[in-house]
Amino acid sequence: MSDKTPAVLVDQASKWYGEVIGINDVSLAIDGGVTGVLGPNGAGKSTLFKLLMGRLKPSQGSVRLFGVDPWTNTSPYRRVGYVSETERMYDWMTALDFVTTLARLHGMTREEATARAEHVLDFVGLSDVQNKELGKYSKGMRQRVKIAHALVHDPDLIILDEPLHGCDPIARTSIMSVIRELGSQGKTVIISSHILEEIERITEQIVILHNGRLLALGNLHAIRALLDKHPHRILLTCDDPRHLASEFISEDPVYGVRFPEDGKLEIQTNDLSAAHAILPRVIVDSGAAVSAIENPDDNLESLLGYLIGGDS
Amino acid sequence: MDAKGRALSETVWTRLDRKAGAITELTIRQLRHRISTWVVLSVGALVMALLLAFYVDAIRADFEPVDNDGDSADWDNDGYPQGQENKYGTSDWDGQEYPGSGYYVMTGEVDWNDDPRSHSGNHTWEGQGYLDAEWVDIDYTGSRWSGIIDWGDVNPCSEGDALDDWWLDWGEACTYDDGSYFVSGKFRASGSVSVPENAYMQWGHMTLASYVEPEPASMYIDEDGILWDGEDVSEIGIEVDDDGDCLADPNDNNRDGIPCNVIWILDADGDEIVEIRADYNVNEDPEESKYLGESSHRTFIIGTGKMAFVMMLGIFIPLFLALGLVRDETENGTLHYLLSKPIHRAEFILYRLLGYLLLAGTYILVLVLLMALVTSLIGPGDSLIRLSDFPVWLGIGLATVLVLAAYGALYNTLGLIAPKYGVYFCIILGIWEFIMGMFTMTLPSASVPMLSISHWALQLIDAIVLIAWPDTLQYTQIATAFGIDSGLPFFWQPPVHTLGTQSPVVALLVSITVLLLITVAMIGIGQASFKNREIM
Repeated sequence: MSDKTPAVLVDQASKWYGEVIGINDVSLAIDGGVTGVLGPNGAGKSTLFKLLMGRLKPSQGSVRLFGVDPWTNTSPYRRVGYVSETERMYDWMTALDFVTTLARLHGMTREEATARAEHVLDFVGLSDVQNKELGKYSKGMRQRVKIAHALVHDPDLIILDEPLHGCDPIARTSIMSVIRELGSQGKTVIISSHILEEIERITEQIVILHNGRLLALGNLHAIRALLDKHPHRILLTCDDPRHLASEFISEDPVYGVRFPEDGKLEIQTNDLSAAHAILPRVIVDSGAAVSAIENPDDNLESLLGYLIGGDS
Repeated sequence: MDAKGRALSETVWTRLDRKAGAITELTIRQLRHRISTWVVLSVGALVMALLLAFYVDAIRADFEPVDNDGDSADWDNDGYPQGQENKYGTSDWDGQEYPGSGYYVMTGEVDWNDDPRSHSGNHTWEGQGYLDAEWVDIDYTGSRWSGIIDWGDVNPCSEGDALDDWWLDWGEACTYDDGSYFVSGKFRASGSVSVPENAYMQWGHMTLASYVEPEPASMYIDEDGILWDGEDVSEIGIEVDDDGDCLADPNDNNRDGIPCNVIWILDADGDEIVEIRADYNVNEDPEESKYLGESSHRTFIIGTGKMAFVMMLGIFIPLFLALGLVRDETENGTLHYLLSKPIHRAEFILYRLLGYLLLAGTYILVLVLLMALVTSLIGPGDSLIRLSDFPVWLGIGLATVLVLAAYGALYNTLGLIAPKYGVYFCIILGIWEFIMGMFTMTLPSASVPMLSISHWALQLIDAIVLIAWPDTLQYTQIATAFGIDSGLPFFWQPPVHTLGTQSPVVALLVSITVLLLITVAMIGIGQASFKNREIM
């Protein structure tokens, strides 16, 4: 197999379930680095992953993993690790048992499999609890076991379907660092999420899916920069909004202010980064006591809203 | 193949091996963690234990001699067994008639249309008529049941003519004012009797009674045995009617021109009995302990193999263990872990079934060997342990494992094709299989049961029985011909599918092949269906 073949190649693929569309005419190639697949629930992220993993057959177009059709051929799975969205596990097994058993499906001996399983469980930070039954694990720990099983054969491509879903903040942080680490090892990592902020902390390379369509593909910052040039809001919680407003209104990036409720100030801007740049100075100069700064538009929904709006 | 190619193929094979090992092991561990597995396996073990308890009880009780022809019973309660009454020619249903009881001799009668219609004398009478008696034996009294007139209960006759205007029950009499009677039944009297139109009366006398010692009932149990000892076929001789009940009323049921004999038909080599044709009442009450012990033992093994192993365990274990082998993984979503590994879905089904079969097969093997050990230790025979039983038990184990494989593949496939309703299909199929199994036992050559899996497994057992115990045929023949009620002819008949060779080995191979083909076909259908299944 040529190294030039991209790890993932989706060519005009569509998948519909009867009348319902899963993904619609999606084309993309991913090779190397960490790619975030963003989209609200039902956007087609899982459908895309299931097509990649040969669970589903594309209704149209083609899907290739390392140049091979995963629907008819399981050979690319030697190089792929997949963390599905499923939450059920064999609760009676220990984590070590679970990962070892699945490692043996790669053709490892029991000893090799156990050694690899211990290694990856250590990598995801579970080595001290590896002999506990999965049924006693927390949600975050279970997600890490699922990641461990996907890494056990040292794959070149790792596909993670919502690995952060339902995790507590500590698990979230640790999973994110694991994923960043994998990216820095030069592996191709594809991770899906419906929360922009999560992806932002992991990678810059994103794919945005919406209603089964590929909406955007590329660098998150470039997309964000486009977004920044459009009307944006910053919400401040402070003791004297009216005074602070008068300070802001004279600043260049700010074109309007609103008082949505008591003790809150909303600044409207066309250039979010410029506005953030002046923010600390203005606040310090005004002497106001600001207890919180929020970016209510800085989420996937507004990004999508912008992208769809830009489309039409 | 060069060294490199060999190394490559070894790698491929060992890798396959490891995957197979991992999945079968996972399957077994999963099954072990399910309560339903333990429930169904313990129920199976419990049934076997119960059967063994019955067996031990039956063996320990020894075989009570059975009176096959029923002539040891005293049906009429006169103190003489039927066999003795037969010998003396007395009735075994009339308590007044018994050996030495004296019997009635008729000397005259008035028929319905005779003329004159009256007679005088001192007689024993029987019939209806007007009696003008000089003397009546009131000690000779009875009831309506015996037909003898009850002289203690005689009422006045009604007005009008007897038989026209009124009627008396049998065994009754009535009296007129002048001291004469109308009688209906048996009585002893001296006098004159006139018989009305359309009535009947006969008379005669009883012979003198003498005392005959009643014989014990045990004399008439096992009194007509088989002279041949049941072992060496070449020693078969001429069988005789020991108790004389055939000779008393000879028949030639086997139509060889000789009444009251037995024809033994041997096979071509002359070392097996193929058929026994006996005249009625010859050897009809043989000694059970000589034949029943061995044939009951065999009946137990064959019956247990067919009913408990093949038809109960064989149908129920797969229902609980195999139906969800792949389906449950799909429904739980845990399939995603397994299928994200480089393993083909068809392989996956195969290894899953292998895991199930390893668990269920080990269970069957352990159960079979336990049963074999216990029954061969306490079974009849002179040797300490009946080694000849083991091939049969192993054959039962083989049949059950093949059935488990075939049903397992079938049920697993049904679970895949119809995840929701598969269990109902399986239950319907199970009932079908059970009925076809029963048909196979009673009508082994019927063709419809060939459409079932159980048919081939039962035929397999029939074949292995004939291979391990060739003389089983003899026991069924003896059982059928001489009425030794061991149940053997119900549970065992010679195998049918010998392809015209009459060889049980051919029948065995045919049955194994068919069962394997069914298994392979079912796995293939399951694999084809699963390969093209989209998994959500």
